[in-house]
Amino acid sequence: MRRLFILLLVAAALTTGCTPRPGGRIVYGLTLAPSGIDPHINASSELGIPLTSVYDTLIYQDPKTGEFVSGLAQKWEVSEDGRVYTFHLRRGVKFHDGTPFNAEAVRFNLERITSPDLASQKARFMLGPYERTEVVDEYTVRIVLKEPFAPLLDSLSQVYLAMASPAAVQKWGSEYQLHQVGTGPFVFVEYVPGDHLLLRRNPDYAWGPPVYQHRTAQLEEVEFRFFTDPATRSPALESGEADVMGEIPPQDAARLQGSSDFRIEAVAIPGVSLMLFMNTARPPLDDLLVRQALLFGTDRQAIISTVFRGTSPVACGPLAAITFGYNPMVCEFYPYNPGQAAMLLEQAGWKDTDGDGVRDKDGQPLALDLYLMGWGYMPEVGQLIADQWARLGIRVNSQVVSYPEALKIAQEGRHHLMPFNLSGSDPDILRKFFHSQAGFNWAKVNDPEMDGWLEEAARVSDRNRRADLYSQVQTRVMESALVIPIRDYVNLNGVNNRVQGLRFDARGWFPWLIDVTLAR
Amino acid sequence: MFVGRHEAQRSAISFVVRHKAQRSAVSMGGAQHLSYPMLGYTFRRLLGAVLVLWLAATLAFGAMQLTPGDPAQTLLAASGASPEEVARRRTQLGLDDPLPVQYARYLADLARGDLGVSWLHGRSVGRMILEQLPATAELALAATAFGALLGMALGLLAALYRETWVDALATGLAVLGLSTPVFWSGLLVILLFSLYLGWFPSAGSGDLRHLILPAATLGFALSGSVARLVRAQVIEVLRMPFVMAALARGLPLRRILLLHVLRPAVGPAVTVVALQLGFLLSGAVVTESVFARQGLGRLAVQAILWRDLPVVRGVVLVGALAYLLTSLLADLLQVWLDPRLR
Repeated sequence: MRRLFILLLVAAALTTGCTPRPGGRIVYGLTLAPSGIDPHINASSELGIPLTSVYDTLIYQDPKTGEFVSGLAQKWEVSEDGRVYTFHLRRGVKFHDGTPFNAEAVRFNLERITSPDLASQKARFMLGPYERTEVVDEYTVRIVLKEPFAPLLDSLSQVYLAMASPAAVQKWGSEYQLHQVGTGPFVFVEYVPGDHLLLRRNPDYAWGPPVYQHRTAQLEEVEFRFFTDPATRSPALESGEADVMGEIPPQDAARLQGSSDFRIEAVAIPGVSLMLFMNTARPPLDDLLVRQALLFGTDRQAIISTVFRGTSPVACGPLAAITFGYNPMVCEFYPYNPGQAAMLLEQAGWKDTDGDGVRDKDGQPLALDLYLMGWGYMPEVGQLIADQWARLGIRVNSQVVSYPEALKIAQEGRHHLMPFNLSGSDPDILRKFFHSQAGFNWAKVNDPEMDGWLEEAARVSDRNRRADLYSQVQTRVMESALVIPIRDYVNLNGVNNRVQGLRFDARGWFPWLIDVTLAR
Repeated sequence: MFVGRHEAQRSAISFVVRHKAQRSAVSMGGAQHLSYPMLGYTFRRLLGAVLVLWLAATLAFGAMQLTPGDPAQTLLAASGASPEEVARRRTQLGLDDPLPVQYARYLADLARGDLGVSWLHGRSVGRMILEQLPATAELALAATAFGALLGMALGLLAALYRETWVDALATGLAVLGLSTPVFWSGLLVILLFSLYLGWFPSAGSGDLRHLILPAATLGFALSGSVARLVRAQVIEVLRMPFVMAALARGLPLRRILLLHVLRPAVGPAVTVVALQLGFLLSGAVVTESVFARQGLGRLAVQAILWRDLPVVRGVVLVGALAYLLTSLLADLLQVWLDPRLR
């Protein structure tokens, strides 16, 4: 008996020793300048990092399986024609201000998001062909669409379509973003734009989705600060002013990896890889042979090793490898082969006739206009590519432009090449880039068959059928040589080793802070 | 940046010269009392200020029309909005109206003191600016104080020990301050004082501890031009007969230096410091970013990148207002410092 008692004591001591204690506070470094942070209005990925823990969504996506699981909605049905989604809501859920959560609250939120007066920059468009929301009874709500929209479940699992307290939204009006109220594991305490944002544990939280490991948050407080200058992020982490820091520059990440106090948690971000769009409407890139030559002539591995210090995977196609629907076959296309590239250029009639080191045809030199934006290591990537292509006798005129200017240049088709990347967990993101009517159709592609695949994939709900269609799209994009994929996006999070249990959602950007604990 | 600063200096000098001429004209007009021309002068300056503000508002309006890119498209492109939806947003933002209509609406709002609503943030521009202004003002003031004191000390030392190693050291520091970009010096300061010595926090704003490193970094950059000017002025003043006279009368050296030499020598430096406000604000952008501080600078940069016109216009106006106030204060201060100008 006595022995058993001692054994129990030892076991208790051991478990308390190993189990990180609840409570405590961390500082989490964000990387963007102060920006609007109303998830229904604003579009930045950064806002979701704190707010994912302030709000709950109707459903959640399990990042391991890709399946959707219950959230504020316990179960749901989709009508045969894919236009009506019926959600059965969890009972007993309360917003942080005491307002009860019910079907009327869901209707209020969706009406708010779709109201033209709110001028939503993202959430509205994630609802696709939304028509209306019907309150069936206190805990049943129906979302009706004008036409089927397969990405809806993915949208509803994101913080942009999170459920806000109707009472708080009405009380604060246009200042609501400084006083946000959700149902999540953390309460929004204060936001001083440009300085910090503070969250405190919600002790009443008891309705977390099955993907959360704890019933309530383990940390008492999380403070967010903004570190816009990449060079200062690792010093802030190392001097203890931040415990978690997103987007550590690759060279600092390589150094931190060797430290015993810090670790790098590299999180792959699904979506469209960083890639150069080739303007197929502007000579000489209207020639498939020339586009293929550029693909063969680009040493992507060298770019990854030099610019990204090997921290990102080489991209093979338009979708990042972690994205649902990714087709690994795209890696068979275009291995680095400068000999092949030179041959294709010769075949297309581009030869260096005047011996100046630049190929020419009909008196025109082979010169390409490359426009780059100043972020995301695009200038560095552009520099390396220009060097690599110079060896093939191609001259690159590169110019760094602002994002609004880039959009304008692309619209007018003044570019030969322009890079972009965008994160997104549903492969429907391809429709934004490769549909002939798409806003980001920077390749100026007009392929009715591919348009059809993209449209069908946005309508059918069968996952296998969707995956097949997106496979076809990816193959077609590479066969037609529309883009030069460079890297899959990876967020290098620097983490102090005392911080444990940091996990991210299916978007890769948003941490599930409820499960974070402090060691010691 | 540096070209801008030299231009600022040159215009500062011509500014001083012009005002000296103006003021002597005023005194030739037969003003008997000190306060009367000062009052009239202040009044005229205030009238001019309204004109300058209107010009700044108009320039801010016009300049953003010239920069390429459509604000509605910039806001919505990444969300996959259709061309029709982008067009609707453009109408909603009032961008479809003819330019004169947009301009008139903008001036009318401005006259009511309404800076509008940010297109990116969806909040009142006035509120956003008021939130960020104290942090920037605090940084600008602290940096100016630090830069002016350091610059004067360096300049005085360099002039007194002209062509010795002290001069070389002080002038060298001044050149270093002038030519070191803040994004680099700020990083070095963080590495030394935060990471290795652990004396000051590297990031944030709020209390004095957070202010010291950014203010010193920005102030050091400012001290260079002050030091060079003060050095030249002190050397000039030292040659003046009244200094000789004071020396001959046996006044204590410290008194001569502080009262007879430094006071007139510092006058032009005050104007230069005031005209450095433009540099200070642009330097504040970088400093705020490096030290993760709150501030108008970061707000402005973001607004320009996103073509958030109401915010850009609001910040430009506030900048113009600050500029007017400081140059007025500087002129008054200079007149007070150097009685010869009255």
